[in-house]
Amino acid sequence: MHDYAEPVTKLIDEFKRLPGIGHKSAQRLAFHILRTTKEEAERLVSAILEVKDKIIFCSVCNNLTDADPCRYCASLTRDQTIICVVEEPYNLVAIEKTREYHGLYHVLHGALSPIRGIGPEELHIKNLLNRLRPDESGECSVREIILATNPNTEGEATANYLGRLLKPLGLKVTRIAMGLPVGGDLEYADEVTMHKALTNRHEI
Amino acid sequence: MKLELVEAINFRNLSGSIELAPGLNVIYGANAQGKSSWLEAIYLLATTKSFRTAYPREVIRHNENEAILRARIKRGNLDKEIQLLIGATTKQTFVNGKREAVTRYLGILDAIAFTADEMEIVRGSPDARRKFLDRGIFGIHPSYLGTLNEYNRVLKQKNALLREASEAENKFKYQDLIEPWNDQLISLGTEIHLARLDYVEKLNEELKPELFQAEQITVRYKSSLEGKGDLGDYSSLLAERLKLRFDNELAAGYSLLGPHRDDLEIHCDGHEISKFGSSGQQRSALLILDLAQMSVYHNNFEEYPIFLIDDLDAELDRTRIEILLNYLGDNVQTIVSTSKRSIADRYRRRARTLFVQSGQVVEDLDIVQEKVELTAGAETTELTDPANEGGPLDEAENKSGNDKHRAPF
Repeated sequence: MHDYAEPVTKLIDEFKRLPGIGHKSAQRLAFHILRTTKEEAERLVSAILEVKDKIIFCSVCNNLTDADPCRYCASLTRDQTIICVVEEPYNLVAIEKTREYHGLYHVLHGALSPIRGIGPEELHIKNLLNRLRPDESGECSVREIILATNPNTEGEATANYLGRLLKPLGLKVTRIAMGLPVGGDLEYADEVTMHKALTNRHEI
Repeated sequence: MKLELVEAINFRNLSGSIELAPGLNVIYGANAQGKSSWLEAIYLLATTKSFRTAYPREVIRHNENEAILRARIKRGNLDKEIQLLIGATTKQTFVNGKREAVTRYLGILDAIAFTADEMEIVRGSPDARRKFLDRGIFGIHPSYLGTLNEYNRVLKQKNALLREASEAENKFKYQDLIEPWNDQLISLGTEIHLARLDYVEKLNEELKPELFQAEQITVRYKSSLEGKGDLGDYSSLLAERLKLRFDNELAAGYSLLGPHRDDLEIHCDGHEISKFGSSGQQRSALLILDLAQMSVYHNNFEEYPIFLIDDLDAELDRTRIEILLNYLGDNVQTIVSTSKRSIADRYRRRARTLFVQSGQVVEDLDIVQEKVELTAGAETTELTDPANEGGPLDEAENKSGNDKHRAPF
């Protein structure tokens, strides 16, 4: 490591701070940067600075955005009567990829987990409740909340907690279904998923 | 299911591999040579858990980072190879050379072990008996393991909240926080309750006390909610009790209700064996339970798991050994360990005998010699056998037997 000039060592050390990057990868990345043109390096630097400067959390739904409110919240074509609640921004992206859902979103940034010290206060629940308050005309545009937290015990507890909180407001509260992945083979399903899918079977 | 080959690398003091016969296998050798370690290795391969230690670090040889166990298993016409890689804090499972999730790994090799530690089931705390039941259930219903893990996860989360609440000023606000966990506790707890009830019923049908002319043995699942209401509607009852005892749970700071507080009662002629049974009765009862577990498994898969008996003669007297091994016969692949050479000699003709020294199966020179004698018509083992019965004589024979083995080296 002492063989490199100080600026190179510094760059390698910075890369090493990134998740999933060890010494060898950091070295490879640093040498890649050294070989590129100055313009390319500047493009990378400005891309990094741009996300830091421009990306903020939407004040309505907490999604990552470069404009507040975000493009989902600001859109006039999306269904304003339905909100889908997810744990993380990448869960939102997963649902959006289906192109089947045209309602609004709400990102909690986590799930309840007492052993990690995460309670309702740590999640973005307050501004969800704000969105459900009646406006000046005494009307609330939202009719349904879809709870799309993860299908594990923490996600389930979070959905359950929100269900109890939201039901008294007179809304339709739904939980996404759990079961087999479509397009796959039954044999690839794990036992727990298969068990849930069998329990929640429906008549055709 | 037949275990054909087991290989151990950096596992305790073991080295090399052992080849096993389809029926009875007797691993013998002096103390601390690695007999039990081979059985432990097989049990670990089957369950990923050790019957000797809860700390994986202990099985890794000194100054090594990881231990590797491999096995070749024949099921019908299928050959499967499994591998377990044991690190200080992690375990990795492989099937046919490829990394596989533990849920897909479990079930390829199934084993039931009769060991000194297992005596906890008949004389120890309820925890050991719950584990016995749970092991039996997920042996035949793999998805039960998921239910059990989820239940324990929910319990851990709920306990974290209760602990926090017990120290908080305003306990009242915790009701809303705990309810979501209670809801899951009820649905998962009910699944566990029903699965255990069903399994206990199946066990009862397969208990065969007449095998050892033992007293009538029965088992009964004892729910911690017994006498508190209608157990037939378990989920409603648990929900009701959780509501009723909410303040008690808050005060205690941990979960007081659910199937993690249940027990399995083992009765011997109407008496609870953990309290009133003699050591011999407890041993017979445990063996009958293990055999019943094996039968339930067989009813489900039309195949037997592997039966392991650690330190055969320390746990059972000669008559029981004889009855047991006859009962298991050629249907069940059985692997026993013993420090007594006389036992190995007694079963030599119907079993594969493996002599272990310093963790390794070594060439048994005496066997080669005896085989020659046997083919010559002299039934040496059979003739000398009666003289070897009983304790002190056995010991003496054992010592001289080992000396004989040491001589050539």
